[in-house]
Amino acid sequence: MAKPELQRTKTNTKKMKEHDTSLKGTLASVFLLGFFIIFSWVSVYFLFLHRL
Amino acid sequence: MMNETVKVDRRDAKLALAHIYVAFIALALGGLAGLLQTLVRSGKFQLPAGISYYTILTTHGVLLGLVLTTFFIIGFQFAAVSRTSGTFSNRVRFWGWVGFWTMTIGTATTAFFILTGQASVLYTFYAPLQAHAGFYLGLTLVVVGSWISGFATFVHYARWKKEHPGKASPLLTFMAVTNMVLWLVCTLGVAATVLIQLLPWSLGIVDRVNVLVSRTLFWYFGHPLVYFWLLPAYMVWYAVIPKVIGGKIFSDSLARLAFILFLFFSIPVGFHHQLLEPGITPFWKYVQVVLTFMVVIPSLMTAFAMFATFEAYGRSKGATGLFGWLRKLPWGDARFFAPFVGMLFFIPAGAGGIINASHQMDQVVHNTIWVTGHFHLTVATTVVLTFFGAAYWLVPHLSGRVMTKAMNRLAIIQTVVWAVGMSFMSGSMHFAGLLGAPRRSAFSTYGNSPQALEWIPYQIAQAVGGTILFIGIILVLVIITNLAFFAPKGETEFPVAEAAEPQERAALAMDNWKLWIGITIALILIAYTVPFIDMIQNAPPGSKGYKLW
Repeated sequence: MAKPELQRTKTNTKKMKEHDTSLKGTLASVFLLGFFIIFSWVSVYFLFLHRL
Repeated sequence: MMNETVKVDRRDAKLALAHIYVAFIALALGGLAGLLQTLVRSGKFQLPAGISYYTILTTHGVLLGLVLTTFFIIGFQFAAVSRTSGTFSNRVRFWGWVGFWTMTIGTATTAFFILTGQASVLYTFYAPLQAHAGFYLGLTLVVVGSWISGFATFVHYARWKKEHPGKASPLLTFMAVTNMVLWLVCTLGVAATVLIQLLPWSLGIVDRVNVLVSRTLFWYFGHPLVYFWLLPAYMVWYAVIPKVIGGKIFSDSLARLAFILFLFFSIPVGFHHQLLEPGITPFWKYVQVVLTFMVVIPSLMTAFAMFATFEAYGRSKGATGLFGWLRKLPWGDARFFAPFVGMLFFIPAGAGGIINASHQMDQVVHNTIWVTGHFHLTVATTVVLTFFGAAYWLVPHLSGRVMTKAMNRLAIIQTVVWAVGMSFMSGSMHFAGLLGAPRRSAFSTYGNSPQALEWIPYQIAQAVGGTILFIGIILVLVIITNLAFFAPKGETEFPVAEAAEPQERAALAMDNWKLWIGITIALILIAYTVPFIDMIQNAPPGSKGYKLW
């Protein structure tokens, strides 16, 4: 019984560490920001083409 | 870090506070002028006693764009440098006061000529509109005063470096020095146009002025001016907010590098304000458009660093999922909430800026009220909300008081009021601009033209937004007055964050000012020399002055 529990604790610690340093939310946020910039730019670009 | 003082010295605090008081007086007067403008443009209100729309427009622009910002920034930077690099010497403090009084006398002089209707030339003071010479003289004093304060900062920085050989300067001091270097280099342009062109012209010493040269020199100054406003907000974001939320600076070196990139790329880009200017060849406009787009890099670095700071903090508190860290942020703390809302508004502000600077695409929005909407997001929301958030700890820190829970709650409400008011005002400015509504002009139906009638509902929305924003100004003035004079006595922290992983060597390498200033000057020479010679060699006869108000 002792061995599996030890292993579980190790896995938990590893998971905790991954969580502590993960920047996946930052990656998603900067992508969303980039998409917003592209969307805004393309919208005005089509307005520009429309008015040429 | 050993000599780092936890509290700003009382004498330095007085100097910083004096600047901040002038800044908030300017906010009160300039904000009132702004409210009146939006009411006039709604078409439902006329100014009493024959006051000109253009007089209050100039009052608004000069007081908020130049006075509020410059005074707050220099006051904040004095406090930040004193806090992180030690108390000023008597000599530095003396020159700080000389700078303050020079700027204040300059402001009073400029305000006098604007308010007496002798200088309704707007804050861009474009020739051939000609103001009374006193207006230009007053502005010169404001700039000269800021130079004196800049040199006082440099002397203090040099002393710190001498006393700490082999050590990197404290982050906030480094940032303040970068901003003052940027300011000194860019104000040379506005000083040149005022002293060489506009003053002699307004005094009648010369008859005519080269309009294109004056506008070019103005925008050589005018765009970095935007970054002079923005960099102190970034100082708060990078170096203060992590401490406020209980986290660490994501990367000290990244922050320093972003500041140096802003120094390089915010000056040789003035042509993106002159994309429809005849007399500048498309090639040189294109060169400066490319340089403008380089500014996107440090801007996105900053966005990344902020998200990373927040996420790292949230995860250290056990946040899970993609965006779970957002829930761990201190939403009830106005010191965090106001700057955070400022950051959010910088997303549409930045996107709009990229559109404005996109060379031919600028034709869609040039000289429309879209542009006014744009800079009310950048300076009047992102920068100003960050300054308000900073004032909520800076003013009580300097005045020896503490912010009560009630004031903190009011500050949260103020931020929400500002966000709502600005969404109305700036949002409708953007949409009306896309429909062709001009900026800088009083209410007119242009002979009931169908296109101009389309703009009116948006102009009413701007008045609604302007009114809400004015309520926001009253709220922030109540809070600041309380923090300066009436809040309970006590100790308030000046939050300065530490880096997650200090990289002393990288930070030390960033103190290489000869190299940074050399690159800055080289980029300016590349971007401006040829087109500037062209403007002088192929100049038209020049224009007489006009007073159209």
